[in-house]
Amino acid sequence: MGASAEILFGGLFQGSLYAMMAVGLALVWTTIGVFNFSHGVFMMLGAYLAWQFLDIGLPLPVVLPLAVVAMAAIGWLLQASVVRPLIGRPNIVLVVVITTLAAASLIENGVLELWGPRSKQIPPLLEGNTTIGGVGVSLHQIAIIVITPIILAALWLFLNRTRLGLALRAVAQNEDASLLVGLNVTALYGLAFAIAAALAALAGIFLGGYRFMSPVMGADPLLKALIVVVFGGISSISGPIFAAYLIGFFEAASNYYFGLYWTPALLFAVLILTLMVRPEGMFVRSSRSLA
Amino acid sequence: MSELLSVEGVTAGYGRATVLHQLSMSAGQFGNVGLFGPNGHGKTTLLRAISGLLRPKSGTIRFDGQPITGLSPRAIVARGLIHVPQGNRLFPDLTIADCLALGAFSPHARPHEEANREKVLVIFPKLRERWRQRVRTLSGGERQMVSIGTALMSHPRLLILDEPTLGLAPKIKDELCAAVLAISKGGVPLIVVEQDVEFLLELSQHLYLVNHGEVATEIRPGQTMDHAEIMSMYFGH
Repeated sequence: MGASAEILFGGLFQGSLYAMMAVGLALVWTTIGVFNFSHGVFMMLGAYLAWQFLDIGLPLPVVLPLAVVAMAAIGWLLQASVVRPLIGRPNIVLVVVITTLAAASLIENGVLELWGPRSKQIPPLLEGNTTIGGVGVSLHQIAIIVITPIILAALWLFLNRTRLGLALRAVAQNEDASLLVGLNVTALYGLAFAIAAALAALAGIFLGGYRFMSPVMGADPLLKALIVVVFGGISSISGPIFAAYLIGFFEAASNYYFGLYWTPALLFAVLILTLMVRPEGMFVRSSRSLA
Repeated sequence: MSELLSVEGVTAGYGRATVLHQLSMSAGQFGNVGLFGPNGHGKTTLLRAISGLLRPKSGTIRFDGQPITGLSPRAIVARGLIHVPQGNRLFPDLTIADCLALGAFSPHARPHEEANREKVLVIFPKLRERWRQRVRTLSGGERQMVSIGTALMSHPRLLILDEPTLGLAPKIKDELCAAVLAISKGGVPLIVVEQDVEFLLELSQHLYLVNHGEVATEIRPGQTMDHAEIMSMYFGH
């Protein structure tokens, strides 16, 4: 009972964080067709903003939406400054890798300069612990396990049941046709970045209530999100969601049976195998589309 | 009737290549307009300049008296000038229902969404059978129907069709020609690019032959022009 419960909770918790991160990467890829390497920094900055708002005395229920909205705005701005000017270039994928990496480096060092290198922590969503199936879990982890699917479902509903979501899905598929039905393509690109940044910020705040924060805290989740989208396929948002939980469980099981040190190596072995067998990802249709 | 659309001395192209040279034309004063001419001589470029997909290097385009040169496609759609591009791939993973809903995205089209959807389904009853099917699973003819249907959802005051029957089987082609005629009879003025001169003559009495990025000949109503003469213009002497 102990082993399976531990793997189950560990997997659900990690999977939730990975899903939240990976969906943002996939959203940006499907709408704009670029890879956002500042996604990990979005996560970190979201957590630091939350810490800052808490530090000036705002309560957590206010801080949470405030930090998320602020990150959405920052995501929009970043898109406008380092992505939008490059749209239309033939080598945009490569160029945006460089510009978003550069932006990530700037933001990371800016945060280091502004808030210093000392590790920080933000309070958990819920205080306290409980025992389920013989395993001790914090209420914070349980809250994340419960909230994440709700947020992902809300995103899915937004993309599939609203006209704006429909527009986001359309712009991913044919830019000229989108222009000719009167969609504001640049605004939709900004929106995709804003949503991605907001989700990353939420993931950052979740993580910051569980582990210590540092300016490089986004690097590992970004790497994991990359593995998730390569594994799940980046051409939809449901593929990465499934993949995120699968990778979460895999990691939890591997941690339990093989230990922390072997897990990254095993994870990359899975990644390499996936690339060899199904380079388009495990859960994809053949084209780029959302949902 | 006054001019609904006027193109005055428009020069446009891609990068350093100029495709249109000081082209002028107008539409609306004699009903539908037909454009014809050899491939690669600027018809599609002209339409892209009109709908704002391509910014002209010089010249003025007016719609309903207002200059629209350099406006965004969105602003031009909002005025009711709607363009169905050639070989429109549309949105491969959206359903027909989704595409038509997107057609009504522009605020000016929203209030007419229900009525326009009914009209589209009267003109293209086939779409009702395939309502929840993805565009990628449709035949070329059906996809063209969705393209035109989506444009009708945008509540057009002037509808531009770029080769609506290109590459279609004869039976489907007849069906589409009938639909285009029905749209015209329903009161929407058209600008149509078409290789089928027969169909073009049936649709319109105001024709332009576009050659080398210029209007080589304009044929107005009253100037009788038979099929043979047009064919000889088309292919040269």
